[in-house]
Amino acid sequence: MPLDTSTYSLALLRLDGRRWNELRRLHAQISVQAAASGSSYLEMGNTKILCTVSGPSEARRGAGGGGAGSSEGNLEVDVSFAGFSGVERRKRRQDKRTTDLSHTLTSSLTPLLHLHLYPHSTITLTLSILSQDGSLLAACINSATLALIDAGVPMTDYLTAVTCASSPSTSDEEAGDPLLDVNSAEEQELPFLTLGTVGREGRVGVCVMESRVRGEGVEGMVAVGIEGCARVREIVDGVVRGYGKRFA
Amino acid sequence: MPRETEISVNERAFIQQALQENLRLDGRAFDAFRPLELTFGDEYGVADVQLGKTRVIARISVDVAVPPPERKFDGIFQIIAEFSPMASPAFEVGRPSDAEMVLSRILEKAIRRSNALDTESLCIIAGLKCFALRADVHIIDHDGGLVDASCIAVMAALQHFRRPDVVVEGEKATILSVREREPIPLSILHQPLCVSFSYFEDGEIFLIDANLSEEQVRNAEIIVTMNKHGEVCQIAKYGGATVDPLALLNCTNVALQKVKEMSKIIQGKLEADAKKRDAGGLMAELSAENER
Repeated sequence: MPLDTSTYSLALLRLDGRRWNELRRLHAQISVQAAASGSSYLEMGNTKILCTVSGPSEARRGAGGGGAGSSEGNLEVDVSFAGFSGVERRKRRQDKRTTDLSHTLTSSLTPLLHLHLYPHSTITLTLSILSQDGSLLAACINSATLALIDAGVPMTDYLTAVTCASSPSTSDEEAGDPLLDVNSAEEQELPFLTLGTVGREGRVGVCVMESRVRGEGVEGMVAVGIEGCARVREIVDGVVRGYGKRFA
Repeated sequence: MPRETEISVNERAFIQQALQENLRLDGRAFDAFRPLELTFGDEYGVADVQLGKTRVIARISVDVAVPPPERKFDGIFQIIAEFSPMASPAFEVGRPSDAEMVLSRILEKAIRRSNALDTESLCIIAGLKCFALRADVHIIDHDGGLVDASCIAVMAALQHFRRPDVVVEGEKATILSVREREPIPLSILHQPLCVSFSYFEDGEIFLIDANLSEEQVRNAEIIVTMNKHGEVCQIAKYGGATVDPLALLNCTNVALQKVKEMSKIIQGKLEADAKKRDAGGLMAELSAENER
């Protein structure tokens, strides 16, 4: 269904009334499940994700990659969509998108964790997507980071992610304005990328773009994305510190 | 489960030290592809790509099928990439590895989702019949750079392929054989090509088209897909060590230059092949004279 995003150039306001560099409401909690080693609940606008960490536990025999007998622990990621998460109710098997999502999460989080401290063991991340409204990968990364911190797995720094789109350009010469944190309506209409940065210096850990865009547009999207990641980092950091204060 | 033989500690250190001295083991510059060899088969739609020791064959085949009800006006286009144990002992049939998943996803995003092929032109009768195009990617030999080689192979094969002509009368469609009517080329909207960058030394050094041993030593990989018009079709950096954002942007600039060079080579090869096939027009074909 084509959607009219062309009104952006008139009022410089997006469909949901945000300006180009505004994030949606980001609400996060940690330690939401007492039974899990670590857990988090994260809302980025209407995208809602529940993430739990279990382990480190003894590696299953014959598990792929590291597993039993390896000197480093390994990270397993399991992503599941709730039947009611999308607009259409759909039976979701393990499709390509889910495996892609879990592969991206595994490979982006593994280098941050000090897995050499957990030989012969597995840390399992389970993400349940309760509601999807764009920026799914970014929300998954943020909630996974929070849950891993809650579980007390040693890691080098926060990995925080946002999405960034490129608005339709008004002229052929210039690329359109970059837009921060897209919702699903914008995601369907505009080219966008997901950017994840590690630490304060804003070094890029993850960058995934799946749609076609003019080469000049990428620069703006990355620049805005890095700034957005820094803001998400502050929020996430605030959540962790707020939780820590309860014990002070 | 067979596993890739891990590179030895000595070899790892050797490659890293050489890179710090601005040297690659095969003597290439950091931003140079291995020599690209592209040959076409006797049939239309078979492309054989050799990138150094890596060898990939792509084959396009076509069939008539019923289009899915939600996409009545489109044809079907599938890319199937499977690793066979022929390429490397580490590959196993029936258990897709991560590398295999990454390859098929990237080809899917680079070629299918960027609309390189106009699938609407594959429609015969809306909702009833369409051409189902299938691109099979066979990895014959694995020495790194599979994504780049596979992408070149699929794009070259698509441009080389000719589909049979079809005549539609009402609800009846007749496919004309190659003898009856000259087969027609597919409508290709743009030509995306992948360039993979491998990072070393925390993003200080980056290499284009790493071979297998360099792939085993690298910190991280970024795969950029662009076309020669300067459009970025896909970027994939799934993880690994972090890189500076400016280096990331620099990748797109370098990729554009490389993609332009590659497109030119592919175009040249396609033209040479077309010239070889061209018997000299209709008059030459109808002529009864032959050389003695």
